[in-house]
Amino acid sequence: MKTFQTVSEFNAYRTAIMDSTKDKKPCIVICGGTGGQASGSNDLIRIIKRRILEQNLHDKLSLRVTGCLGFCEMDPFIIVEPGYNLYPKLKMEDVPRIIDAAVKGEVVEELLYREPGSTVKRFSQQEIPFFQGQTRIVLGQNQNLDPIRIYDYLRMGGYAALEQALGKPDHEWIVHEILRAGLRGRGGAGFLTGKKWELARNAGGSGRKYIICNADEGDPGAYMDRSMLEGNPHAIIEGMIIAALAIKATHGIIYVRTEYPLAIKHATIAMRQARSLGLLGRNILGQGIDFDIEIFQGAGAFVCGEETALIKSIEGKMGEPRQRPPYPIAKGLFGHPTCINNVETLANVPYIVNHGAEAYAGIGVENNTGTKIFSLVGKIKNTGLVEVPLGTPISKVVHEIGGGPVGNAKIKAIQTGGPSGGCIPASMFDLPIDYNSLAKAGSIMGSGGMIVMDMNTCMVDVAKYFMSFLKEESCGKCFTCRKGTQRMYELLEDITLGRGTPEHLTLLEELAQTVKDTTMCGLGQSSPNPVLSTLRYFREEYERHINDKRCDAFVCKQLTGAPCQAACPVDTEPWRYVALVEKGDYEGAYRVIRSANPFPAVSARVCDRKCESRCSLGAGGGEAVAIRALKRFVTDRVEPSVYRPEPAEDKGRKVAVIGAGPAGITAAHQLSLLGYRITVFEAEKIPGGMLTCSLPAYRLPRDIVEKEIEGLMNKNISIEYGRALGKDVTIQSLLSQGFEAVFLAMGAHESLRLGLENEDVEGIFPSIEFLKDFNMRGKELARGHVGVIGGGNSAVDAARIALRQKEVTGVTLFYRRTRDEMPAHEEEIEAALEEGVRIETLVSPIKVHAGEGRLAGIECVKNRLGGIDASGRPTPVPIPGSEFTVNLDTLVVAIGERPGSGPLASMGLEVDKGGRVKADRNTLETSTKGVFAGGDLVTGPNTVIDAVASGKKAAHIIGRFLSGQPLVEPARPKLPGVYIEPAVFEESGEAPPRAVPASLPVSERVMNFREVESALTEEQARTESRRCLRCDLEFTMQQPAEKTAGAAIGGVRHD
Amino acid sequence: MDTKGILDIIQHNGENQAGLIAILEEIQAEYSYLPEEALRLVAKETGRSLADVYGVATFYKAFSLKPKGRHCISVCLGTACHVRGAQKIVEEFSQELGIKPGETTSDNEVTLETVNCLGACALGPTVVADGHYFPHVSRNKVSDIVDAARNGLETLDGKTDGRVFPLQVSCPVCRQSLMDPDHHIDGHPSVTLDASFNGRKDRVHLSSLYGSRAPASGNGVPHNSVTRLHCPHCQSEIPSFSDCLECGSPMAALYIREGCTWEVCTRRGCQGHMLNLNQIDLLKNDEGK
Repeated sequence: MKTFQTVSEFNAYRTAIMDSTKDKKPCIVICGGTGGQASGSNDLIRIIKRRILEQNLHDKLSLRVTGCLGFCEMDPFIIVEPGYNLYPKLKMEDVPRIIDAAVKGEVVEELLYREPGSTVKRFSQQEIPFFQGQTRIVLGQNQNLDPIRIYDYLRMGGYAALEQALGKPDHEWIVHEILRAGLRGRGGAGFLTGKKWELARNAGGSGRKYIICNADEGDPGAYMDRSMLEGNPHAIIEGMIIAALAIKATHGIIYVRTEYPLAIKHATIAMRQARSLGLLGRNILGQGIDFDIEIFQGAGAFVCGEETALIKSIEGKMGEPRQRPPYPIAKGLFGHPTCINNVETLANVPYIVNHGAEAYAGIGVENNTGTKIFSLVGKIKNTGLVEVPLGTPISKVVHEIGGGPVGNAKIKAIQTGGPSGGCIPASMFDLPIDYNSLAKAGSIMGSGGMIVMDMNTCMVDVAKYFMSFLKEESCGKCFTCRKGTQRMYELLEDITLGRGTPEHLTLLEELAQTVKDTTMCGLGQSSPNPVLSTLRYFREEYERHINDKRCDAFVCKQLTGAPCQAACPVDTEPWRYVALVEKGDYEGAYRVIRSANPFPAVSARVCDRKCESRCSLGAGGGEAVAIRALKRFVTDRVEPSVYRPEPAEDKGRKVAVIGAGPAGITAAHQLSLLGYRITVFEAEKIPGGMLTCSLPAYRLPRDIVEKEIEGLMNKNISIEYGRALGKDVTIQSLLSQGFEAVFLAMGAHESLRLGLENEDVEGIFPSIEFLKDFNMRGKELARGHVGVIGGGNSAVDAARIALRQKEVTGVTLFYRRTRDEMPAHEEEIEAALEEGVRIETLVSPIKVHAGEGRLAGIECVKNRLGGIDASGRPTPVPIPGSEFTVNLDTLVVAIGERPGSGPLASMGLEVDKGGRVKADRNTLETSTKGVFAGGDLVTGPNTVIDAVASGKKAAHIIGRFLSGQPLVEPARPKLPGVYIEPAVFEESGEAPPRAVPASLPVSERVMNFREVESALTEEQARTESRRCLRCDLEFTMQQPAEKTAGAAIGGVRHD
Repeated sequence: MDTKGILDIIQHNGENQAGLIAILEEIQAEYSYLPEEALRLVAKETGRSLADVYGVATFYKAFSLKPKGRHCISVCLGTACHVRGAQKIVEEFSQELGIKPGETTSDNEVTLETVNCLGACALGPTVVADGHYFPHVSRNKVSDIVDAARNGLETLDGKTDGRVFPLQVSCPVCRQSLMDPDHHIDGHPSVTLDASFNGRKDRVHLSSLYGSRAPASGNGVPHNSVTRLHCPHCQSEIPSFSDCLECGSPMAALYIREGCTWEVCTRRGCQGHMLNLNQIDLLKNDEGK
């Protein structure tokens, strides 16, 4: 390449390049940055090159290998220009088709990007919400250039800013321009760059002066500096040269982490190219200015991001910060004035010079101008680099650009600023992202890491993680930082190991404040931030670890044990019965199941399987063990008589239980075993509560429920049917009749109303009434065209039951959001669709049409999804003018239930707005002494297994209450305690897939109520049980004493 | 220990105090750790106390005073990887290899490390084995990664792998074919060129397989020397338009067809190469100025 001696010569070359390239060829753009390469883009590039060569396409198609394009979640992806068609997550075999289409100017539709879960194709990059929401003035350039070709950079107008800067004899104007633009340091603290440059310009005499580009990017979770240096190194170099002119620097250094080999490579190549064109080195473009840049590789020390430590590191010393002043601006590297700017700050400089300070200041908000790049990572759908104007609300970044949570786990916080930053809870996502707001919320901007955390992230663990990082990275100079971070880590570790006490929190807070007050550098002073901010917003989580010995995110191992067990509300040990199935000990397995759960056969059919959703096999990239199907296998095969606990001797004391549902029956059974005499009052004529009145028989056959409840009865229990609280008995009457305690478990049996006119005409039924009339009395209320409103399990049950009724011609279910948000179990929705239920989503009823006192139809409005509401789901927003009418003969309203707690308030109990009885979370005590409440009555509609758990807990608490013990015992973590020898079997290549039980074909089930799902075969069950990872062994292997005890009695602990 | 090699490293880093980290980085790259004798030599040559050198060597995470295994597996523990369960991945590797992070297997094959952040945060949990990135690592991928590292990650099978394919090149000046049908490398005719270095001449053969890591054959010029490459037919020097991405030496641009070149590094032993399908741009500009 030719070295240019004058600005005008270079200008001619540069503009010629800009003009000469009106290339109309389609171009394939692919990321060859670290992220792209890690995802396999190199393989795609080879295939593309091969195809181009073999098919002789090089004059019909170009290929541009770029740096990071930011949409890393979709890597490896290809963008085809000029249509900007984006093909995500490509496989090698997809490439030839895309190339052939690109050459012809066509699009391969089935490979195009679409939103996860949607079928709508996005034809061009600009239509994709991830890109739409961004303002990519810096990052956007990456897409237009191959970082190892200076030619590409020049073609986009690169080095025009330098040319402009060199064109004027006095360079002070640059400082003013940057100052007027309002650019603030993107490294974290947000100091005004123009101000820094002004100080630097005036520092020292005419001697040596340094400009250092800080690309140390030590914040774990941030990678925009790497991506810029990798993807557009010339922009950084241009920014540095302009900075050098502005502050009269003589030497430049790029300080980059050694973990970024590709960035080092690209920056080195770019500098070589700039030098050979005469843009860098001696006598730049003949202007008599000497300035060159070298690269310094950091050797891995977080503290070296701090400017004085960074300088020491370049000087070949340990990277320990020193006291300021003197600031590096006055006395820096080797004693010379030194100005240190972050990569992103420098990348903004050419833009400001090219477009002017006013244009730049027009982006963002006052005092926070321009854009900021964030690395949006962690538990978010669209991970990647996001560039938005400062002042953009967090929610826009997380929900619109980021696409919201992955799967069902709700997002609970973001963490910004790396180890020196803090967490911001989801409730504050309206906060604009700017330096001041983040600081006020207890975090910092930092270099731009934005790590999204969801319900599966433990905030105590996050604090511990950062503290572990900081104690390693503390340089050790200040005692309080060195020891303080160590001690804070130990305190946090205690809490995560279950050894925490309330004093731990007091000590943590005190220590955090001390470290903040008594350390010298930014790292030390900010090191308590992770602790302080999590304590500020997530204190409850700390308390749960300390008081209840629970980690609800299932992260802290010593509080979780085997995840399947920890997930189970009734403390079943799934790992244990799965292991016994593997051994062929089905009776042993039954005893394990039954000892924890009085309703094994019911649970084997309708449990919502919290165990499976927490199974390590599922979390580790595979499919969870089919635990419920194994339970079904065991309960179908083993006679319940193998576990028949005998009630203790009659204590002669009476307890009343209201409601014979799963919560009430469980409480009655457990209390009866303790020797209390129980009377259950049930308003209906049969027991079972929701099990019989709501759940359809094809999911839960009636004989199963009857048999299970019958097995729980004994001489200590009597049930009085047809006796309702408030009508036949009152709490006061029970207490005066000698009942020493009352357990309220009447469930939630009142359907919510639509609140529309005509709602009470004939043909409209609340779901509970509809289901009860059929399930308990065999009455078929539906006929003709049936509409069901709602998206939960009751709605789907109602729809499927209606479909089975004789006079029904068709069933349509109307739901206001999309299918993804429907709360009903996915397999139930699937089954409903299979059976012929129509599901209309994104519609809400607004009017009921009636004729002659009878339902004629409903008027609906179509919705679109709006912002995220308090439940973490998108709000349905009605679309004006989209109203339409549907003719209906029957309408079932299934938009939710609430407890029918009306009479309770008059009996002196506190009831909330939703009809829920207020009861202490730990003791189940209501506002009346001796009266306890549980199940749906307290929580609102909930699962069967949670009701059983509540009944178990109530029995335990009432037992303690009656025997005069304190109601709550100190919590202990529930860890596996019985050793069962793991099976030894040959590894035979491919692991077997998750077992699927047989189910009735649609044709055989739609007109009847036969149970749809069957049990696994013995062979299936044995194979399935071998898939278990046996998380329990980690806890039981270390206890050889129990090893023999467990083995001697078939692995069953007698406790 | 190669005293001369270490002296060379000290020398070209300027022997001054500032160069210490760069010196140690180069020694580490060469030996995969910092041998005690090397540190003593560095202290002596740079005039710093051994305590001082030891201080720097232990302050920074990139340096190791213990030898490493032939293969290195690093698990990223950056925040993004951490919240996606990187800790479990480390434990799985520990179990699979029977060693703790920072240790090397008893057969000296594999070293397990953790790293603060690799900057591949969107792909977490991320693992790097011998420079190869593995994105979205889950526990059940761990044993595959260990196997891949032990078996060598650089291997590509030229017969079955679509990513490897033979190129046909000719002299950019006389346009005569440079393919030698009598000298096969990797099962394909090789590319033949004349190399010269300090008056020494040699005939070299390169694998024509794009993506092959087979080194060029021919021993006439010393390893690591930057050679001039000539066409065996017209004797013209093969022109260079860009520098090697790996080492910065000039690359020779072999002609495939108009606009397409295969550029190979002129430094003996360097495997830097680039298949350039947009060469026309640069050629034109060079002609134009």
